[in-house]
Amino acid sequence: MGGVSTPHVLLGLLAGGSRHGYELKRAHDERLPRARPLAFGQVYATLGRLERDGLVASAGQDRVGGPDRTAYALTDQGRDALDQWLSTVEAPMPYVASTLFAKVVVALLVADVDRARSYLVAQRAAHTARLRELTTVKGDPAATLSDVVAADFAIAHLDADLRWLHATLGRVADWHREVHP
Amino acid sequence: MTQLQARGVVRAYGPTPALRGVTLEVAEGEIVAVTGPSGCGKSTLLHCLAGILRPDVGEVTWRGHRIDTWSEAARSRLRRTEFGVLFQFGQLVAELTAAENVALPLLLAGTGRREARTAALTWLERFGVAEVADVRPGEMSGGQQQRCATARALVTEPRVLFADEPTGALDTLAGEQVLTQLVRLAREQRTAVVLVTHEPRIAAYADREIVLRDGLVDHTGLGLDVPLAGGAR
Amino acid sequence: MRPTTLLRLALAGTRTDTARVVLTALSALLAALAGLTALTVLAIEKPAGDAWAQSEQYRNALLREPGLRGGTAFALLMLMIPVLALAGQCARLGAPARDRRLAALRLAGATPGQVTRLVVLETGVAALLGTLVGLGVYLVGRDLLHRPDAQGRLALPTDVLPSTGALAGVVLGLPVVAALATVLMLRTVTTSPLGVTRKAARERGPGPWAGLLIGFGVASFAVIRPVVNSIDDDGGLTWLVPLLFAVGALAAMIGVVIGTGWLSYHCGRLLRRHARGPAALLAAGRLMADPWAGSRTFAALLAALIFGGGAAAQRAYFGAKDQLEREQNRVAGLDGGTNPFYLSTMDYVDGAIAVAILIATGGLIVALVEGIVARRRAYAALVATGVPRATLSRSVAWQALAPAVPAILLALTVGTLLGRGLAAAEVSAGGGSAMICEATAALCADPATSAQYNRIVHIPEVQRAVPVPLEHLAWLGAGALAAVLVTIGVGLLFLRVSTALDELRTT
Repeated sequence: MGGVSTPHVLLGLLAGGSRHGYELKRAHDERLPRARPLAFGQVYATLGRLERDGLVASAGQDRVGGPDRTAYALTDQGRDALDQWLSTVEAPMPYVASTLFAKVVVALLVADVDRARSYLVAQRAAHTARLRELTTVKGDPAATLSDVVAADFAIAHLDADLRWLHATLGRVADWHREVHP
Repeated sequence: MTQLQARGVVRAYGPTPALRGVTLEVAEGEIVAVTGPSGCGKSTLLHCLAGILRPDVGEVTWRGHRIDTWSEAARSRLRRTEFGVLFQFGQLVAELTAAENVALPLLLAGTGRREARTAALTWLERFGVAEVADVRPGEMSGGQQQRCATARALVTEPRVLFADEPTGALDTLAGEQVLTQLVRLAREQRTAVVLVTHEPRIAAYADREIVLRDGLVDHTGLGLDVPLAGGAR
Repeated sequence: MRPTTLLRLALAGTRTDTARVVLTALSALLAALAGLTALTVLAIEKPAGDAWAQSEQYRNALLREPGLRGGTAFALLMLMIPVLALAGQCARLGAPARDRRLAALRLAGATPGQVTRLVVLETGVAALLGTLVGLGVYLVGRDLLHRPDAQGRLALPTDVLPSTGALAGVVLGLPVVAALATVLMLRTVTTSPLGVTRKAARERGPGPWAGLLIGFGVASFAVIRPVVNSIDDDGGLTWLVPLLFAVGALAAMIGVVIGTGWLSYHCGRLLRRHARGPAALLAAGRLMADPWAGSRTFAALLAALIFGGGAAAQRAYFGAKDQLEREQNRVAGLDGGTNPFYLSTMDYVDGAIAVAILIATGGLIVALVEGIVARRRAYAALVATGVPRATLSRSVAWQALAPAVPAILLALTVGTLLGRGLAAAEVSAGGGSAMICEATAALCADPATSAQYNRIVHIPEVQRAVPVPLEHLAWLGAGALAAVLVTIGVGLLFLRVSTALDELRTT
């Protein structure tokens, strides 16, 4: 999935009050349960850049010592930046930039229809398995709404991919003829 | 344990073959999705399995008994007692209230009126539509209607539920709510479900997927035997 | 739209549509025949002479006596009522499918006017064909039946022809009326391209105001006799009698038909509350959801039964009068009754009522089968979920019989009340004296000897209440019930076809 804007997510998590770095990481993983987990190092690196740009400021240290004890707070400038980010609409799929799509194209270019088809079939199986896994996660009575909404996002995209895979399987022979006239 | 089995089922409508030899098994309490493109024979397969249609060739067995040779009356009884049937829409009796609709299978089985109504209300409650108990289908939303229909299909605690595009007429959220409740309750009472759908996301609720193409089983979506690129996603 | 396109679209229907067109034409034919014969009777010219001069060329008093011809024509026109009811029921045959097709045409961009023209074309042309054939049958028939007997007298008025205008009125007027009625029935489809949408079901049943109409009808019949009696004095109220008759009969008929809606609804309520078993529950639900279905289905039968009840009451009156006069004559030493004319006329009336009940049964079958075919998907879905066909059959029988039995009783009661209102509640005879001769015919014939055997007997005036013709009414009721049962039988045959599970594939 394309570049998640980690700086803006951190700014958003700080909007409720100042937090330490490790608290930020915990909040991130809780609120965005199906996102790629954030590494500690990435949190501190990002916070450093945000501080440099004046979007966050150090709000005191609990104890003299390691950087992990530094709490950060949002500056007015940071609040403006967050506000601006929230009010801009994401460009709806400006490029078809998917490895899945590219792989089928390449398979058609370098190999034959069967190769492309077998890739599509395998990919379809993988997608289906993942879809079932996420549906199970969602159906768990213990699942929070955060889990459900995150799973829904992935399910909707997998569902779209699967439809594309089904349709493309039906078209792959004609497509091959177009690629190799 | 296999409960329901189809062997080499062939069924045609006039000269048009809908099924060209389908073999499958459904175990007790198992949820099986039957998917495939439009016109692949999904609904016909469901009708044959449920004893609604008789296959031209091949056989359908229920707990070891061949049911396709039974009389219509005997198959009716089987559908009423052991099976539940759920369609996309329109199976509720328009003139009866939701509670009466849900109570209908129980009344057919000879349950008393009061008892049947109590059970119907319990089931409507389980599907979160207790408030429309005394409302007729024409005055309900599509989602409410489908929940009532699902309650009716499950009220006799059938051993197999046959669902033909049960969420086809609903929006994503309403469809999902109906299906989640259906699957949860089916698992609770160990009711097997044969779920016909063309949507991958609906099929994902099943334990197993059978894909039909041109009246034949194309493949069964079982497990995964190819490596995933890049490890965990 | 070009005429050819119009024709192509008008003919785009299914077999049901063909059946509807044929039945429409057939009912138009029957109605035209009834109308034409009535007009023929009216076309008989009154011969010169006083008010009682008879048309001697006919064998039948109904045609000979000018005073009776109006009634004869009226009775023939009354035969049009069940025929028109039949036509109305035929028009509903396959109507839901046609309405959907027309709605689809509207969605495809047809204007309301174009859709209306299409329907008018279908109904109008079918009815016109029917009336034209009817005219042909009438013309050929009057030629074939023109057989004077030895005295040159005719059985039927085959020597007169209604005026060309009157003929054209029937042949062209009936199709126009049929087309207008169809347009009226179609207004929901032509106004919305989405077709007929289900309205929210009524929570309250029809009001009991049918009782008011029935009461009004009975009351207006009851005042006919006093009005007729007062005509003797000044003759100023002559116009009131046919008006009272027509309005009273119409009010009672509409009252009974509407009352059937009320009966259906309340039968449904009782069934829903007390009946056990799913068949009764299904029937109860339908009766309550559409109580007017019963009214529509039974309208023609009930109209025929009201007339039957009235005629039975009239016959009871004439019968009682005849019997009393026979007894009186026996006292006076004579044999036989009075004029058998009235009783034999009642035979004609009963014959007409039998024909009406037969036609009404046809309408009943059409209506019931239509109802079953229209809901075939719902039936098929129920069968798919394991509802036995026997249960569905029982529910259809319940649905037809539950309102039919009380409605038949109501119609017969109202008919009897009307008939008894029209005729006197009691007959009287006697109140005079007669000379009788108590000897052999030979002695009585001789004036010399007859005197000693002659005796004057006083015949006391006797009044006797006219009995309620219970037996006659029971036969009518049994006939109507038999008609309903036959209808249910035919309906169940169609139910088998309609629950074929292939119906599940057609949405």
